[in-house]
Amino acid sequence: MATAREIQMRMKSIRDTMKITNAMYMISSSKLKKAKKNLEQTQPYFDGLQNTIRRMLRHMPQMEHPFFETEERKAKPDKKRGYIVITADKGLAGAYNHNVTKLAESCLSQGDNNLIFVVGELGREYFSRQQIPIDTNFRYTVQDPTLSRSRDIAARVIELYQAGSLDEIYVIYTQTVNSMTVEAKALRLLPLEKENFRTEILADVYAEDIHMIPSPQNVLDNVVPDYVTGFIYGALVESFCSEQNARMMAMQAATDSAQKMLHSLQITYNRVRQGAITQEITEVIAGAKAQKKKKRRLEKL
Amino acid sequence: MKSFHLLVLASDKVFYDGKCVMAILPAQDGQIGIMANHGDIVAAVEVGQIRIQKEDESWTHAVIGRGVMQFINNRMTVLTEFAELPEEIDEKRALAAKERAQEQLRQKQSLQEYHQSKAALARAIARLKEKGGI
Repeated sequence: MATAREIQMRMKSIRDTMKITNAMYMISSSKLKKAKKNLEQTQPYFDGLQNTIRRMLRHMPQMEHPFFETEERKAKPDKKRGYIVITADKGLAGAYNHNVTKLAESCLSQGDNNLIFVVGELGREYFSRQQIPIDTNFRYTVQDPTLSRSRDIAARVIELYQAGSLDEIYVIYTQTVNSMTVEAKALRLLPLEKENFRTEILADVYAEDIHMIPSPQNVLDNVVPDYVTGFIYGALVESFCSEQNARMMAMQAATDSAQKMLHSLQITYNRVRQGAITQEITEVIAGAKAQKKKKRRLEKL
Repeated sequence: MKSFHLLVLASDKVFYDGKCVMAILPAQDGQIGIMANHGDIVAAVEVGQIRIQKEDESWTHAVIGRGVMQFINNRMTVLTEFAELPEEIDEKRALAAKERAQEQLRQKQSLQEYHQSKAALARAIARLKEKGGI
């Protein structure tokens, strides 16, 4: 059994670690609050964008634009797919990163023509270790997602899409289902699926004749990149929130188990200390007895 | 004068939500002015100045970014990257942004970088114009 001193040292180190996990818990919860607030502020704008696309499609269902899915593109064999994979910059967040990379790998196995854009240091390390080629010029952090960063990311992928280097663009991110569960998800960003914007067309309602200035194409040229930006921003914030959530839970679990360990160590420590005291007393008594016997023997002589 | 409802949504805030008599904003091929009972339109909006005449006939000026506007059933919605009142504009920052963009445009760039620099320059110039710097 360890000595009392050793146990005390161990308890001290657990207590120090607990301080760190506790602090990380608090940091994550404050970051989560901030990111959620930012997302809320941008929500009306993106809802508006989505409604605009929806309205335009309602009035012109036959409208064609490179941003929309076509039969021809759908049937194309050997499509070039781009994936935006959002991971964390750091670990210590439970299975958060693992879930994302696992989903990414299953997506990648769909085809051979893949290009990966990784956001987050951990994912970048993971994919380079797996020898999976990634776009190395694509260096963005996931900390404090901002709109301008998502605009840069969107501009980059849209450029590749319009140049024809990519046929489809997906984003792999993590969504918070509720405060206890997070879920990794893969969604297609481009081309847009018209079905997703379709609403019930009511037969009796008078459909306004909308005049597009300068042309429907130009309007969509302005709307869709912003919509993609908004989507990426939403995914970044969702992932960031999920990461903080996962970290909060991991840190909470760590703090709890540290407390459990401290409790059992305290009991062991008490037992060891009591054992040491008992032993000392026994030794003293034994010593005193021996002395007494010695004295008595001397007296007899 | 008849008024209509105007909603200006910037990417980070609700910029204007209320009645107005007239709104003038930059479209791709020049400015367009909208008054109540205008025909239904959807238009692409460029970086520039938006002018809103309120019901008390006073004018509000602001700078807006790229986006889209729609006027349907006497309700107007403008969706834009950013919207700033003249007093919110940081003149020094805009000037620095303008110089940076001009500097970048002089250098060799990819097509994407070129477009980004151009857009940055347009934003900076629009802000400075509103401030009266140019």
